Parts: sequence; C-alpha cells; structure tokens
Amino acid sequence: MLPSPAVFQFPWEINADQVKDGASMRTFGRLTSYFPAESRAVLTSQHMSVQHQVLVHTVFVEPFNPIIGAQYIALGEIDKAEGCDEATLRARVLNCVDGVNVALLQKAINEQRNFFKERNNKAGSQ
Amino acid sequence: MASDQGGSEDEPPSLLWGQDPVFSAYARLYVKDILQMKESLQVPGIYFYKNHPLFQVGVLGTVVYRREREDFYCYGVDDSTGVINCLCWKDEKWRDDGDSVKRGGSGGVFNVEEQLRKLRETQRSSCMLEIGDLLRVRGSLKTSREQREIMASSFYKVSDPVMDVQIARMLEIPQLYRDCYDKPFQALGSEVEASTTDAGGHPNFQSLLGQSVRILKKFLKEKEVAKFRPYDVEYLLHPLIQWPPRNTASGQEVTSAGPSFSTQVKNLLKETLKILQSEGEIFRKVLSPDELYNVTEQDKDLLAAIRDMIREDSKREKYAEKGCHVLHILSSVRQKYSRNLSREALEVALKFLECNSDIISTMDSHYTVL
Repeated sequence: MLPSPAVFQFPWEINADQVKDGASMRTFGRLTSYFPAESRAVLTSQHMSVQHQVLVHTVFVEPFNPIIGAQYIALGEIDKAEGCDEATLRARVLNCVDGVNVALLQKAINEQRNFFKERNNKAGSQ
Repeated sequence: MASDQGGSEDEPPSLLWGQDPVFSAYARLYVKDILQMKESLQVPGIYFYKNHPLFQVGVLGTVVYRREREDFYCYGVDDSTGVINCLCWKDEKWRDDGDSVKRGGSGGVFNVEEQLRKLRETQRSSCMLEIGDLLRVRGSLKTSREQREIMASSFYKVSDPVMDVQIARMLEIPQLYRDCYDKPFQALGSEVEASTTDAGGHPNFQSLLGQSVRILKKFLKEKEVAKFRPYDVEYLLHPLIQWPPRNTASGQEVTSAGPSFSTQVKNLLKETLKILQSEGEIFRKVLSPDELYNVTEQDKDLLAAIRDMIREDSKREKYAEKGCHVLHILSSVRQKYSRNLSREALEVALKFLECNSDIISTMDSHYTVL
C-alpha cells in the first residue's frame, strides 16, 4: 500500500548501474526544459565538470508551474525498460527548491550514506 | 539487521526504563529503524532500539501517501530510509468551522473572534498536506495489523523552500545516533550489580574514573597542594579498587587473568591525571622523566607571571582599551614561564585571578588590570 522509500541518488548515478529499474529514488537538478505535450522535463546538474541530465516523466505531478532554470527535487521510480539508453524518472513529487545550497545537500547525502555504510560494516564484522 | 537490535532477553527491566533519557524523549530515529525495532515482551507499545526503550518518535519527511477519513488523515511519510504511516486526528474544533463565528464587520477594531478564526484557519491549513509536502510528526508508536504506525500527538506541515530543515536533519541525525542512540543504555541499578559481581571492574571504569577525579580534586583543594608526583597521591585511589580475591579454601592467592592490583591503580591514576590535565586543573611545567605536576590554582609563580604580564601589556597602546586577548596571554606566559602550559590551565588560572579581583575581564576572552 505504501510506496517504497525513495533514497537520495546523485543525478550522475542514475544512468550508471547502481540504480535498478523500478527503484524508488529522489534526486535534484536544474529544470532546463519542459515539454508539456509529452509530459517530459529535463533536470541538469554539474559534477566534476561534466554535465549530467535526468529525464523526468511528469504526468503524475501535472499541472505544475515550471520555472526554467530553478533547482528542483524529483521523487519517483526509475524506468529503464524503455529500450532507450537513458533512464527516465517517473516523478511522484516534483518540488521547486530554488536557492538550495547544493553543496551542503550533497554533503548531507554523503553523511547519511557514510553513516549507514559504517553501520553495515560494523554489523557485518560482528 | 534484526539480530543486532538486541534479543528479548537483553531487555532491561521495565523498572529502570525511566533512567534512560531516550525513553521520555521523542526519539528522532530513521524510519527504517522505527519499522525494524522490536516490540517489548514486557509491555506492549514499548519498542527497543538497541537496548533503549522508547515509545515516542519524531519524524520529518515527505508525504508520499495520503488518505482522508471523516475524523483523521493518514499520511505516508518518507524520510528516504523508510516509509511509515502516520495517523493524524482532526481536531474537534475543525468541524464547526466558520459558521458559528460571525464575521465581525467592525473594520479597524481588533476583533478577538476574527483573529481566533484566522488562527484556526492557519492551524487547519498547516494540518492539511498534499503529496510532496514536508511533514513533521511526533507521536507514539503502535503496531496494528502487522503494520507499524505513528499515532500523531502533534503534526504540521513544514515550509522548507530551500531544504534547510531537511538538510539540517540529515546532518544532525547521524551525530545523534553516534552520541546517543547507538550508545548502550546502562541503567544505574544494573551497574551496581555489575560492580559487585564483576571484580575486574571493567564495565564501570567510567564511574570509577569519575570517583577518582573527585577524590583527587578534593584532596588537592583541601590540602592546598602546589606540586605533586603521581606516587604521592596513588594511595588515595586504593580504596576504589578491590583487592584481588583470595582463595580462602586453599589459602593460595588466585592468579587471576585480569590485571594486577597495582597496574589497575596505576592505570586509573594515569587516566585521572589525564582528565585533570585536560580540565586545566593541573599541568606539567617541564616535560621531564620526573613526572611533577603543578596545581594551577596553587602555582604562585604562574599566577604572578600572568598578573605581571597583563599589567605590563595593558599599558601598551595596543591593549590599553580592550585588554589582552587570552591567546596573547597564553603565548607570552608560555615564553616567560612554561612552554608546556595548556590553554585550559591558563583559563583556570585566569578565572582564579578574576575571582580574587587581581584581573578583570573586559569582554569575551580579554583581560586587563585596574
């Protein structure tokens, strides 16, 4: 009944194999384009001087007020089975968070990951 | 995962639960942990994270599921580690909204009823959330139909336009776990038991250390000791450590596997001196093989050196107005008196001098003489 938890993933991890098809996740990025007719949006972000894109399927969150260039948080399920090479995020939530401190957010995500990694290592070694 | 949450036999007795501060707080756990916690066998409705008993939690997360009933909302809250149902009751007063309160037409005049109506409206709107909103909820835990839920005692929508609140929480919670939830809860009653049963005294080393720090401080103060060496005070700690048990049957001394009495005393003393040094109560003027400790407050030469130094430097134009900063004092005193003086010890000395009105503090960490 309840959806599965949406774990934070960095936009540059989505097209890698780390994220499986159908996985629930949330990520962030700047809204660079929105095609209402196709219910498609693109979130862009920079990492290590490479630009990364996340395709977002927006049919569940429409209508929304698209602000091109603003930071957004998208939460939903990954759809990789469309035959194309890029994964799509079927968004259940799409929130504008323009003004967010992205560096701090990344730090917080890493902090949380490290905590769980540390704990799993401890549990594994016992 | 479930294995390290502690078996039921590890449950501390319910009489001691109140000693755990986590028990009376709203534990800010990850939803994942809330869902995996074990319910107590002694009292239903109490859960155990590790061996911390708790029944109330505080959660912050995104609403990903929502159902409205006549008298309550059911929100699914996702904190990125798990999703949990929160039962949020609608308040009684919501139902007679608007109609019973007449709209006051008297413009400009402060109208209590009008303000109250506005307040209620705001309250109500902060309790009606849509999917994607951020919800903070506090309440007790309940397991019904195999599902764990939070019965909200308070809940509201959090406005977090730039994610400050969420980021702060993400940074804070790992620290909370390390400092609090992941540290085992040790009830006082069980500690006493442990100290009587366990001759090695390892589990309650911390409490032993606390006692020895207190004993030593009291001794130094009462006897106005200025300088001492560790062996001068070692005998003070003897009563804290039990003599090794003797095998009365054979009259032979038991060769226990644990450390001998004298090493135990030495270790305890070493740790105690470390604590006193870190608090600045004592310091070593010179680091030599001869372990000589100076008692900060009793070191007349140190106090005089600090006083003279502040008096001299306060005359200089640079320090005339504000006085000397503590770091400036530290570096000067280190040059003139002891290179080994710690900042903590200096602060103890400054406090002592200030209490005697030898010096005064002009502002935060600045000192001068009159």
